[in-house]
Amino acid sequence: MEFHIDKARVLPKENLRGFLEGLKNLGKLIAPVKKQEKFYFDVIGDVSKVELSYTRTILPPKKFLVPYRRERYTYDAETLDFSSSFKAEPQIIFGIHSCDLHGISILDSVYLKENPDPRYLEVRKKTVLIGISCKPDEYCFCMSTGTAFPDGANWDLFLTDIGDNYFVTIGSTKGDEIILNMKEFFREITDEDLDLYKKSSSFKKSLFDFKNLPDLGRISQVIELEYDSPVWEEEAERCLGCGTCTNVCPTCFCYTEMDVPSLDGKTVTRVEFTTSCQYPYYSLVAGGHYFKPTRASRFKHRYYHKFVGYPYQIEKLGCVGCGRCSAECPAKISMIETIKKLRGTADEEELRKVAE
Amino acid sequence: MKKSLEKLLNKPLPGDPLLPHKALITDVEELAPGHKRFSFSFLDEKLNETWEHIPGQFVMITVPKAGEIPISICSSPTRKGTIELTVRKVGRKTEVLHQMKPGDVVAIRGPYGNGFPVEIMEGHNVLIIAGGLGLAPLRSLIWYILDKRPLYKEVYILYGTRNYESVLYKEEMRRLRKRPDVKCLYILDKIENEEDRAWTDREGLLTELIPEVDLDPADTYVAVCGPPVAYKFIGKELLKNGYPESQVFVSLERKMECGIGKCGHCQIGYKFTCVDGPIFPLWDTKNLPEML
Repeated sequence: MEFHIDKARVLPKENLRGFLEGLKNLGKLIAPVKKQEKFYFDVIGDVSKVELSYTRTILPPKKFLVPYRRERYTYDAETLDFSSSFKAEPQIIFGIHSCDLHGISILDSVYLKENPDPRYLEVRKKTVLIGISCKPDEYCFCMSTGTAFPDGANWDLFLTDIGDNYFVTIGSTKGDEIILNMKEFFREITDEDLDLYKKSSSFKKSLFDFKNLPDLGRISQVIELEYDSPVWEEEAERCLGCGTCTNVCPTCFCYTEMDVPSLDGKTVTRVEFTTSCQYPYYSLVAGGHYFKPTRASRFKHRYYHKFVGYPYQIEKLGCVGCGRCSAECPAKISMIETIKKLRGTADEEELRKVAE
Repeated sequence: MKKSLEKLLNKPLPGDPLLPHKALITDVEELAPGHKRFSFSFLDEKLNETWEHIPGQFVMITVPKAGEIPISICSSPTRKGTIELTVRKVGRKTEVLHQMKPGDVVAIRGPYGNGFPVEIMEGHNVLIIAGGLGLAPLRSLIWYILDKRPLYKEVYILYGTRNYESVLYKEEMRRLRKRPDVKCLYILDKIENEEDRAWTDREGLLTELIPEVDLDPADTYVAVCGPPVAYKFIGKELLKNGYPESQVFVSLERKMECGIGKCGHCQIGYKFTCVDGPIFPLWDTKNLPEML
């Protein structure tokens, strides 16, 4: 059984602090903290700073698995001897929502399925993922992407809020060991706990406004059928091309590399940094040819990759419905709205044909 | 789903696919203004022996202090010991590479990409269409096929350039024309001087040569490489002449940073040029928007 329900435990909320303190002994503890009205994942010193009633963080926990700027190698400009100072440290990321857990599983597939990246694997092996249940807001559409619950994602422990306690499900042997080593904070589950836990999924569902959710059925086909739709131009008209949507995305992985020589020119550092398909240079080749020359073509590419590209490349949708791209977009472009608009044109045409 | 994800994490750490190997520049030849051929051999002798590639594949070459660039291999895998790259001086990194001399050290990783389906082509006619610098990846294919000549039926080479001055591998192409087992048709955009005339009397576009190819299209595999703008016209002309879309292969260029399907830049539709390409059958234009 995926959840090992027989091994599940209950963590009374008053024990949370002790549990977090205990986690700090296992490695670097990372959890959401509050900054003005927004939240972000940060390394925790004082566990009282951990904020668990958040909807979404500005950046996904991805930044602790693949840093946005990372030094790949340093090489000697004369001899071209490559070396690296890379070192993975044990870390525990606590308080990840279901969508972000799915986002990490998507990154796992991207980085490890073909041409596996040893660095990502090493970081991932040394990372413990502890999820927590959440309440959606108007930007969330994880119900449509099938990522509202952690089932099927790769995680170690998941805490579901059941009132005065957390119902803790175990997703891996690593998770099991953590509970065994900190037995004192947990207690056995009772029938009442189990009952509350079973109800928790319908409780989360009830918090969604279903009218507002986009229909993602056959979404790959919809995007392909609507490839020449005027909706792309209309939406891209408002787009500033700032790349915020891809920077805050938990599944975006594109990067650019650059060789930066030291001041004396003796050594060179090869830096990889997160890039965005929304930037013109993304498709620029030597000689000055842009393969995605217009903002509309770049705008469309993001949707195309999420809903057609990922399913081909890793057999999963590339969107987990976290709502970050819509919530952070300075031009208020909403993924939900774009998909609805695309579907609208499709459905109207279909209906017209049926009517004739 | 979960099980397959767990498996991914339980694997032992693989070797680093992005770590390049040191290579020595052994020879540099100026082919045409702004175009040079570089020959490399790895410092690691063993690697020189074990290195294998398929015509149409490319390598990522580190130009010291400037960065990495993807360049297609222009030497045939049938001639071991060195790798040759044809490089046009077109940007910051290639400009630095052009200043390098025999004896200088670079770093190379690869080979990457799928390459031309040379084994499927066996037993069939081969039509090779090169425009300008597009000759580079096709030179690898040409010499591969000529070294294994009995395995293939008729071989045609169509090569179009601006003028005689910009013809690459002038001597080689001249020798090819003299061979009885390969038919060569060369064309220039414009014939302006004696040199041009001595090279060929044909003037016009590469597409004009296609109807003159005397091959059964159904029994022919076509390999095309040229500037991005040329593909549309060449593709159209090939289809008009009855070549099946599934037997026409084009070599495409995109921005690349990694070569292993991780950096994302080279995506065409849902495919990565670096791992699913750079050789695509013309058939893929139906599935991949903006391929050509």
